[in-house]
Amino acid sequence: MPRAGWLGLLVVALAVAPLALPPFFLQLLTEIAIVGLFATAFNLLMGFGGMVSFGHAAYFALGAYAPALLVKRAGLPMLLALPAAPLAAAAGALLFGFFIVRLSHTYFAMLSLAFAQIVFTVIFKWKALTGGDDGLLDVWPPAALKSPAAYYYFTLAVVGLSLLALRLIVDSPFGYALRSVRENPRRARFIGIDVRRHQLVAFVISGAFSGVAGGLFAFYNGSVFPDFAYFTKSFEPLVVALLGGVQSFYGPLAGAFGFKILEWLVSRQWPVYWPLFLGSIVIVVIVVLPYGFVGLAGGRPWRTRPAAKA
Amino acid sequence: MADPSSRQGLILAILGLRKHFGGVQAVNGVDLSVEPGDLRAIIGPNGAGKTTLFNLISGDLRHDTGRIYFGGEEVSGLPPHRLCRRGLGRTFQITSIFRRLSALENVQTAFLSHHRRHYNILLPARRLYRDEALALLERVGLREQAGKPSGILAHGDQRRLELAIALAGAPRLLLLDEPTAGMAPRERHEIMALVARIAGDTGLTVVFTEHDMDVVFAVARRITVLHQGTVLAEGAPAEVRANGDVQRVYLGQPVTA
Amino acid sequence: MSGLSVGMFLFLVSVGMSLIFGVTRIVNLAHGSFYMVGAYLMVTLVEVLPDRPWAFWVALLLAPLGVAMLGGVIEIGLLRLIYRRDPLMQLILTFGLILVIGTLVLLAWGPDNKSVPRPAALAGSVRVFGQPFPSYYVLVLGLAPLVALALWLVFYRTRWGMLIRAATVDREMLGALGVNVAALYTQVFVFGSALAGLGGALAAPTVAVALGMDGDVLTTAFVVVVIGGLGSFAGSFISALLVGLLQSFGILVFPAVSIVLLFAIMAVVLIVRPWGLLGRPEQ
Ligand SMILES: Nc1ncnc2c1ncn2[C@@H]1O[C@H](COP(=O)(O)OP(=O)(O)OP(=O)(O)O)[C@@H](O)[C@H]1O
Ligand SMILES: [Mg+2]
Repeated sequence: MPRAGWLGLLVVALAVAPLALPPFFLQLLTEIAIVGLFATAFNLLMGFGGMVSFGHAAYFALGAYAPALLVKRAGLPMLLALPAAPLAAAAGALLFGFFIVRLSHTYFAMLSLAFAQIVFTVIFKWKALTGGDDGLLDVWPPAALKSPAAYYYFTLAVVGLSLLALRLIVDSPFGYALRSVRENPRRARFIGIDVRRHQLVAFVISGAFSGVAGGLFAFYNGSVFPDFAYFTKSFEPLVVALLGGVQSFYGPLAGAFGFKILEWLVSRQWPVYWPLFLGSIVIVVIVVLPYGFVGLAGGRPWRTRPAAKA
Repeated sequence: MADPSSRQGLILAILGLRKHFGGVQAVNGVDLSVEPGDLRAIIGPNGAGKTTLFNLISGDLRHDTGRIYFGGEEVSGLPPHRLCRRGLGRTFQITSIFRRLSALENVQTAFLSHHRRHYNILLPARRLYRDEALALLERVGLREQAGKPSGILAHGDQRRLELAIALAGAPRLLLLDEPTAGMAPRERHEIMALVARIAGDTGLTVVFTEHDMDVVFAVARRITVLHQGTVLAEGAPAEVRANGDVQRVYLGQPVTA
Repeated sequence: MSGLSVGMFLFLVSVGMSLIFGVTRIVNLAHGSFYMVGAYLMVTLVEVLPDRPWAFWVALLLAPLGVAMLGGVIEIGLLRLIYRRDPLMQLILTFGLILVIGTLVLLAWGPDNKSVPRPAALAGSVRVFGQPFPSYYVLVLGLAPLVALALWLVFYRTRWGMLIRAATVDREMLGALGVNVAALYTQVFVFGSALAGLGGALAAPTVAVALGMDGDVLTTAFVVVVIGGLGSFAGSFISALLVGLLQSFGILVFPAVSIVLLFAIMAVVLIVRPWGLLGRPEQ
């Protein structure tokens, strides 16, 4: 069957899922879609831009808190509040990214982590606005979207459109240039690309879509907590993308599917063991796969000739 | 020899350029002027400062003192991507390409950027400038390799590809740092003949470094000899060959052609 | 004063983390977990050892040794396999370790908070400038210069220390000089782990020994290490004291912003001097 055929089949399967599946599984699918979007947005940086952020929870959390605050503090309905998710996340990504893209590799990762911790701490400490540790409760969608099936369709639509947008971006001239920056920043400069600015734009796009994921999750969850910005949350898209494969656009989606199903299976039986399980998978995946995840680990998908020394 | 201080009509003029690394004075007061359409070889023994000079001209390194004029305007301190937009192209001594992109994508990306489409996020890029890129690959002899990941191409083909990437930016001035490094003599002549042809066709100015004197004397219009960071001699090939200082610097590898 | 003691625990953890980074280029996110394991080992050791005055001190010695062994196993069993890979991969691996160690600690010690009694001799308090001050903190403060001095002697007066300092400056050199780099990496990792374990063991009587302590100490130690300069011994010392003080006083003076301030300082340092206040820029 051609690729379009598979895609069509998948769409049909997802569309009729509510007829066949009990609410619990719809919720699981909803979560998979949200995590899948988060990881795909993250992978725009990692897989296509060669930038590994250890602080993407910040943009997820900004995307969750911004509409939640509008709903709770300004009384806006969800559909009006939700657009604030990508906006707030993009603003945060622009502010932090401006500094982060000045650094590279380990320092890039560490500065992104530092900014995420700032976001976490602000949310945690600013009790008057954010509720601090108690979070913001009762952040529900309007009645029409409240049932698992309705919110499932809503999530599917928003995630589907977001993925389409990300796919367009990856295949666009911007995406080509981003790949060239990943491959060889110095060469990229000499074909006229302003490397930092390009990285920053990618960072903001990635942050914005992470924010969409956060916003969707806020209303799915009915509440938001400072944990959304904690550093362990930042590793979620990383692990998901690694599991699924950072080289392909759809890898993180597959990773999200595997990750969530596994999480469900394991934590249903032994909730306590889930972190142990996840940690072990991360370790095994990193140690055992010979070249790690192509590209990131300095490995290459094919044998290359070393550049001859002149 | 044109005077670099009268920048009029020069595509590249350099005045009193210096750069040091720790205690090493890599470029030590270089004056240089290049007229449009020139095919200039910069020669000199290993460590003479050729690559450093290229890095300074192209904005990859910041010089300590001196001035650089490109097309009559001062460009000292401009970053590489700006210089590229003004019409400066270059290749590196150690091949620098986008290794996990196909040869075609390498050149396409260069075209996209040259046409300032690189912030466009709406169009599919696959078909953009495809014909132009294929034509350019054809010109450098890589048409057959277009679809292959550039990282697996043979060394010589990778160097050709880098040339194509640089040419895609339609530069006015092209800096080639040992474009034939690591190639067999026959291929060297072939590549440089190609460069000369392209330069002739398009009016492009080329400045290149090269260790193979056969190649240098076969294609260069003028030659500048660099030694320990300073210009030792400059002139037409015949003048340079006759120059006693040059003979001395190249003792052990006599300048014969 | 208590700020200084907090600074002391921080110093022990961060100097180990900094050391490991300096030599192996691994940002060990599991370092907070080592600290936590040190504290939990202290809980068990104080429990199982006979109720004698010396028991506390023996426990204080054994706990870091236990953590050192853990570090050794991890280095030899896992990290050694991936030194040639992207440093970010190593970082992610140590994140996996956080999850694994965290769960194992939960399984071994259960979810409830534990506490470690202070040794009888140090259970009271003394008056400092008219303020009551727990005697145990006096011990910690007394130990601080001693440990710092010992480390200084190790780094600056032994051949091993010289190798470590050389490694932080230029790793390629070491291999060229015929040093057994793999062994040095293991030793450094073990030593750094032991320091974290000691930090945890020393801190155990002053805090609730709880499951979240790995993340808390990790984030703070991370700040300390980055501000001081990854791989810089003196940097870790000064910055640990500063951060410890800032945290303690900050919480008194402006509780809401002190931690934000900390991360903000760290961000500024990373932006302006990514290699830290006292570190060296990489080539
Ligand atoms: N990044 C650098 N750091 C320190 N020293 C450098 C650096 N780049 C070049 N040098 C030194 O500057 C001097 C000039 O080097 P350069 O590479 O410009 O010479 P070159 O003429 O290109 O030599 P070759 O023919 O070998 O390519 C040499 O002594 C070199 O060691
Ligand atoms: Mg050179």
